Amino acid sequence: MTALWVIFRLILRDQRTAMLRGAALSVVVLAMGAALLGLSGWFITAAAAAGLAGTGAVFDVFRPSAMVRFLALGRAAARYGERMLTHDATLRALENLRLRVLTSHLAAPYRRIIRARGAQALNRLTADIDALDGVPLRLVLPAMAGLAVQVIVLVMLWLLVHPLVALWVVGGYVIGAAMVFIWMARVSIPLSRRAEVAAQAFRSRLIDLIRARRDLAVYGRLVAQAQAVQGAEARRLALRHRLDRAERQAGAALALVASAVAAGALGIGLMLVQQGQIAPAFAALGFFAALALAETLAPLRRTVSDLGRMADAARRVGRDLATATPAVAPARPLGKGADLRIDAVTLHRPGSPLPMLTDFSLHIRSGETVAVTGASGCGKSTLLLAIAGLHPVATGEIRIADIKLSDLPEADLRTHLTLLPQRSALMAGSVDQALRLAGPADDARLWQVLGAVQLDKVIAAKGGLGAQIGPRGEGLSGGEARRLALARALIRAPAVLLLDEPTEGLDDATAQAVLRGIRTILPDAAMLIAAHRPAETGFADQVISLR
Amino acid sequence: MSDHKPNPKAATNRHADVLLPGLSCQRRAAVLSVLAGLIWPLQAAVVAWAIGGLVQGDAPSPWLAALGFAGLGGLRAALAYVAEAQAQLAAEAVITTARSALVAAEAKRAGDSPFGGAGSVAALGGEKLDLLAPYVTRYTPARARVVVLPLVILALAFWQSWAVGLVLVISGPLIPVFMALVGMAAKEASARQMAEVGTLNDFLVERLSALVDIRLLGAGPAVVQGFAAAAGDLRRRTIAVLAVAFLSSTVLELFAAIGVAMVAVYVGFSLLGALGFGAWGGALSAQAGIFLLLLAPDFYQPLRDLSVAWHDKAAADAVLDELAQHRGDPGTHLPGTGGVAARLPGPASLSLRGCRTPSGRVLPDMMIAPGERVALIGPSGSGKTSALRLMAGLDPGPVAVAGQPLTETNADAWRARLGWMPQAPHFLTGSLRHNLTLGRTDDLAAALETAAVQDVVGAMPQGLGTRLGETGAGLSGGEARRITLARALYGGPDVILADEPTADLDAATARAVTQGLLAQAKGVTLVVATHDPDLAAQMDRIIDLGAAL
Repeated sequence: MTALWVIFRLILRDQRTAMLRGAALSVVVLAMGAALLGLSGWFITAAAAAGLAGTGAVFDVFRPSAMVRFLALGRAAARYGERMLTHDATLRALENLRLRVLTSHLAAPYRRIIRARGAQALNRLTADIDALDGVPLRLVLPAMAGLAVQVIVLVMLWLLVHPLVALWVVGGYVIGAAMVFIWMARVSIPLSRRAEVAAQAFRSRLIDLIRARRDLAVYGRLVAQAQAVQGAEARRLALRHRLDRAERQAGAALALVASAVAAGALGIGLMLVQQGQIAPAFAALGFFAALALAETLAPLRRTVSDLGRMADAARRVGRDLATATPAVAPARPLGKGADLRIDAVTLHRPGSPLPMLTDFSLHIRSGETVAVTGASGCGKSTLLLAIAGLHPVATGEIRIADIKLSDLPEADLRTHLTLLPQRSALMAGSVDQALRLAGPADDARLWQVLGAVQLDKVIAAKGGLGAQIGPRGEGLSGGEARRLALARALIRAPAVLLLDEPTEGLDDATAQAVLRGIRTILPDAAMLIAAHRPAETGFADQVISLR
Repeated sequence: MSDHKPNPKAATNRHADVLLPGLSCQRRAAVLSVLAGLIWPLQAAVVAWAIGGLVQGDAPSPWLAALGFAGLGGLRAALAYVAEAQAQLAAEAVITTARSALVAAEAKRAGDSPFGGAGSVAALGGEKLDLLAPYVTRYTPARARVVVLPLVILALAFWQSWAVGLVLVISGPLIPVFMALVGMAAKEASARQMAEVGTLNDFLVERLSALVDIRLLGAGPAVVQGFAAAAGDLRRRTIAVLAVAFLSSTVLELFAAIGVAMVAVYVGFSLLGALGFGAWGGALSAQAGIFLLLLAPDFYQPLRDLSVAWHDKAAADAVLDELAQHRGDPGTHLPGTGGVAARLPGPASLSLRGCRTPSGRVLPDMMIAPGERVALIGPSGSGKTSALRLMAGLDPGPVAVAGQPLTETNADAWRARLGWMPQAPHFLTGSLRHNLTLGRTDDLAAALETAAVQDVVGAMPQGLGTRLGETGAGLSGGEARRITLARALYGGPDVILADEPTADLDAATARAVTQGLLAQAKGVTLVVATHDPDLAAQMDRIIDLGAAL
């Protein structure tokens, strides 16, 4: 529940004016509804009494009937305005929330980025935030507006009808609704959390079945996997069934509360009339107002069923937002001779206390190329990640242009240093879009880097810079995709360039031409290559073997 | 069969098929929900009797009035509860049946569905199918109520006063006319918005899977800006859909309000004695006036419920269309079931005669003897991977294995003899051990030793218990390949099929993998598809698929 409140405060801070206007309008809508029914009941009953008493001719018909018309039309208009305002404000707030979550993912530690890749993170960013629209729309605003109207009605009935009627109606509604709400929250929150876990299991098992279907078929596991998917679904279904039943029970309980309150208002009204304390028309007013207040309970029904899902989503989104997002400051120019210095650095394997690289030192000057070699898993890639600030340095120090890595703001680091990771992702779009992801550059510059990585003829043959690439680089061969990612990194024109197996998938002649091209484009860069083939080690000024 | 034009009638039939499982429950739900709606006129009668009696100077019992009203209210709540229970049972039946069918269809396919990738299919099978529930639980009962309740209330109104009946008769039918107009606009707007949601999700998936690259290129702010623009666009479209929906319900509310106000004004003036017409035989009684006033809003309520549920129907229709699309192309069936089977007896031999790749390219005939080691070479697209899939019985084709044709019935048994190393491994959500054994029971240590991957396992944070994610998080490309080798060697296969086992590997790792394959492959039939000349040179025979054009 605290998570829900935190999210609501975020939304409120974001869209304060629109939310407050929307809240005011929801109070107006509900109050007008109660006034409309109460007034109509009073009007008809009073008219009947006047007609029977023979005083019909002097009864003022026009003011009450004008009020009835005004309330009826005004309520419809106010409801339209309230819905548009609160929905627009909520959607805007959610949009900002989505952006903040994306930003925090972008700034997250490398390991979390890797883990969050794909379906689950997507799910969080879409489904979770979508679920949060209920926080203002179906939870906080209706509850507050409902309470406010109950208080208004309490005062009006107290003054117009009788304190007993006022206390019965408002007390009955508030206590009844609160009891149903608390009971439902206790039942539904744990249930819907478990249902969500089952739904996620269904999702990831189905994705596994689809992505690995051939492997599973060869190993005779396809049938078992399909059963596992169905098993998760059966679990979700059973939990969902219980949740639905609880929601139905809450709905029935709320309907009973409304019936009982209205019935009581009727009975108390009749009693008071027969005791001569109030006129029949005011008994009708009390009863009709009680009927109208059932509208304040209506949103509660859906809220209680969504409560668990919302609380769960709020918890996860809140956790994502808790990671601080760095302020983006413009990069400062580095001093001359942006060389890379590594002093006695020790790195651990991700998530384990085992060192994979101990007491490693290296100095690369501007314009120099160093290759590190070693078997797979010896720490080449991890070393590059650490220099790029994506892997924690256990002991020792890394300096770029004599500035400690830890003192370098993210924006500066990215401006002066670029890493081409082992596996890089290309996104759907045109070639120039893919390249300009790295920053602004004119067409001539794009052709220049494409030429450097021996891709200019290939791209020209595909139709130039406007040629389309499919999702995940479809339409390019492995080697072409690799070189396009490399060209993209070169657009950054960094002072320090880190390359993780840059010529993978290229034949020797192309690999050598590509490496020469890189050096021509970036003559002054300090380059560190995680190398695994002679073409790469042969190109370096210095080769260091890790272990 | 070649007719690809969309056939609306066929689409409706397919929709009906999906909704069939819960039909009897849906009918019961509709009947019960109508019965619950019929209680309200009785409650209105109790109120009219009580308050009307007061006005006329009678002394109606407060207890009787309160208990009567509350008792009827309780009955209505109970009927509604049972109706909802039935509706939910219907929804469960519909969704579970559709979901099982979807999973079964996916488990039966040989390749990916043209419908979309794993993410799209999972979204359809997961949250999108759930959108059928509001349609079944809300729209169908609301439609039943619209058919019955307004007519009952109209009859009651005419019984008391023809003037009130006339007001309802005139205002009522205007509503469906207007609703149809608004409904059409809403459907179009919501279709546009649905399409936009899909695009935005795809946009986001790509960016999320490229987070590292985006960060390394310092492109974060630009990407966030691009996303903000797309999200803003989506918000504007969503608001457009909502505006139409809110407008339609506002218009309904206005019609209802005008109708009720006219009834109230007529009743008020009649009771004052100002109007002498409209009631049967003389003046309207106070009871009748209050009764009519309470009934009038409920004449319009079923229509308003239906208009709310209209959007549930629009959402469900969109899902049903997607479901029909998913079912539309069952694709090539996987030979066999993909389940556990006893090993097929016979020699570990293979032959392909007159096989084609899925794109139609003719593969050369090949005969592979038991224990032979063969390299398939050729440029990309020459059919190396397709040939391996045919050999594994993953695609149907004129293939003979162990001296007999590979068929639907023996495919599982043949695959039980295979070790399989795909080019791009997909690790299942689960432990490393689970990913290696895949539920088979054998000596894992031996396989780890042959594949020389103990160091990889030892370096994982929790060893064999380490959980792997969707992309095999925590494993480098080379490590992932070696784990796939260990998985292929595990279980003592007598035929090993390996697709590019040394691609993307540094020389040392490539050597380790090659040695692992060869060490195991003594007496075992080995087929590798490769670009690697070193690996190909160590095989007994090389088949060049590129030469067979």
